[in-house]
Amino acid sequence: MRGVIGHFREIDTAVDAIEELKHADFGAITVYSPTPRHELEHVLSAPPSAVRRFTLIGGLLGVTFGYWIAIWVSDYWPLVVGGKPIASWVPYTIIGFEVMVLVGALSTVAGMFINSRLPKITHTVGYDGRFSHGDFGVWVECDPEDASKCEDMLRANGASEVRRER
Amino acid sequence: MAATVKPEEARDLEVLHRPNIASADVQLPAVRDYEQVDNEITATLSPTGAWYIGLFTAVGFLLIGIAAWMYQIYSGLGVAGYNPPVMWGVYIITFVFWVGIGHAGTLISAILYLFRAGFRTTIYRCAEAMTVFAVMTAGLFPILHLGRPWKFFWLIPYPNWRYLWPNFKSPLVWDVFAILTYLTVSTTFLYIGLIPDIAVLRDREKNPIRRHIYGVLSLGWRNSDREWRHFARAYLFLAAFSTPLVLSVHSVVSFDFAMGLPPGWHTTIFPPYFVAGAIFSGIGMVFTIIIPLRKWFRLQHYVTLNHLDAAAKLCLFTSLVVGCAYMVEWFIAWYSGLQVEQDYFWNRIFGQWWWASAILYTCNMVLPLSLFSQRLRRNTTWLFILSIFINIGMWFERFVIVIPSLSHEFEPWQWSGYRPTWVDYAILAGSFGWFSMWFLLFIKQFPVIAIAEVKEIVKPRLKRAPDHLEHSGRRLEREKMPVDE
Repeated sequence: MRGVIGHFREIDTAVDAIEELKHADFGAITVYSPTPRHELEHVLSAPPSAVRRFTLIGGLLGVTFGYWIAIWVSDYWPLVVGGKPIASWVPYTIIGFEVMVLVGALSTVAGMFINSRLPKITHTVGYDGRFSHGDFGVWVECDPEDASKCEDMLRANGASEVRRER
Repeated sequence: MAATVKPEEARDLEVLHRPNIASADVQLPAVRDYEQVDNEITATLSPTGAWYIGLFTAVGFLLIGIAAWMYQIYSGLGVAGYNPPVMWGVYIITFVFWVGIGHAGTLISAILYLFRAGFRTTIYRCAEAMTVFAVMTAGLFPILHLGRPWKFFWLIPYPNWRYLWPNFKSPLVWDVFAILTYLTVSTTFLYIGLIPDIAVLRDREKNPIRRHIYGVLSLGWRNSDREWRHFARAYLFLAAFSTPLVLSVHSVVSFDFAMGLPPGWHTTIFPPYFVAGAIFSGIGMVFTIIIPLRKWFRLQHYVTLNHLDAAAKLCLFTSLVVGCAYMVEWFIAWYSGLQVEQDYFWNRIFGQWWWASAILYTCNMVLPLSLFSQRLRRNTTWLFILSIFINIGMWFERFVIVIPSLSHEFEPWQWSGYRPTWVDYAILAGSFGWFSMWFLLFIKQFPVIAIAEVKEIVKPRLKRAPDHLEHSGRRLEREKMPVDE
């Protein structure tokens, strides 16, 4: 992976640079920021997160499993108590609900990890510890022949530091 | 210009003016920039002498509890003060107490997140950690209550060949599902929220071993736009799952009683009554923890009086709900026309257990009314003292629910007394030691205030005036931008 990383002290300059880089269409842009900011989200116009699908599927699987395990186990040990049905849906809704929450929540986390590509066990090209502290980083993937243009563009928009990485 | 207010000036201004700020608008005027947030919050991680004293005291209490438990295992459950028909005592009371403590943490971190209540930002991490450790503590008590605790896994209703009948219609089995789900989801919620903050610690850490540990725990988090986008969505859904979970877990705990027939238990108001009580007790514990913490860590400009004021309003509201539930209980007893129910309530309030009821009503109904005064809502000393009373009152609420019902059932031969023994008290003290030990260890390894979320409130650096950011016809959030006045 080759590209150029620009450090920005101010968010408005980072937003300007992203907008210009998007317009120039050099390659994929990744923005590092110490906290999520709507300004960056808007300028990047990323599609909605797919985590919601994991949540929905996990929740549905969980509630199905919760009801199923309670009904199946009850049918396997069929003791009638108080004249009540062996498989009684009212109390089993508690099991279904709790398992729905458990599996749904864990699937949500799995969805976040898969979509965010976590855990990362290797160094990320372009990442700098200052991006978790207070600076904003704009990484743009580009061919070596475009790198100079990218650097100029980042500097022109107020990057405090620009460097090529691979 | 608000951004230049110093922490001590901000405190003075708050004390003098006592502004009546809506809970959603609570801001941090004395926090200027991201660097200040990182430096001040990570500074709380350095161990101090007072922290070591606190940790050793907590471990001391824990050892007392462990010793008492060993004695109980050796001698049998009889040493725990059970007196038939009172076969549920301090352990079940303390189980419900700790589960309840956990609920405010989820309320603050999840429900108030969904409601966008601004005052939660700086207190939710403490409250979330409190939830996890409180549920861990609560989970010990059903095991402590067993005669053969090493067979605790028999409680788990998996299909088996041990001639055990997994009864999914039993509230005790519902408890297993509810508590384990709650512990798993709250731990996950706490950890997911911690990941960006652990990345901050990783990037600041000089010690290679600690840096490596933080690196593993942060899972290689890089603060990229992709990560933040999926993180925000996952956090939202976890909050959305946690909200009904909070309501369900204490409802299920209340079913342990409401599904039983003893007078005072067999009532449909128990689920909302328990949930309100749980949130009330948890907010009390949040005050007990956060007020000393903000003072010791000098974080008064993060957990401001406005934050405490807003949380105190929530405390007052839940106290009124709980008080209303108590009165509904009395009304139901009177309106039911059942002699047994009425006798039981008379015995509970004016008879054998009058002293426990008096403690309960004073601590939970009367003293919190003081929070109608804004002066007292902003007085940290009073809030701390009140929180101790609320903790005591809520423990006694569970005492009053469990003991009077079991000691005054339908027929005179079922009427008896109950007196906890030293083993009960030692294990109760041990539970506080266990909880405090985990909490104290937590606050020196991880930030007690969510760094990334505080940074969301703090205005980022700008080169130009905010109007410049109006791109492509999109309306950006101007109110989050700093404006020089």
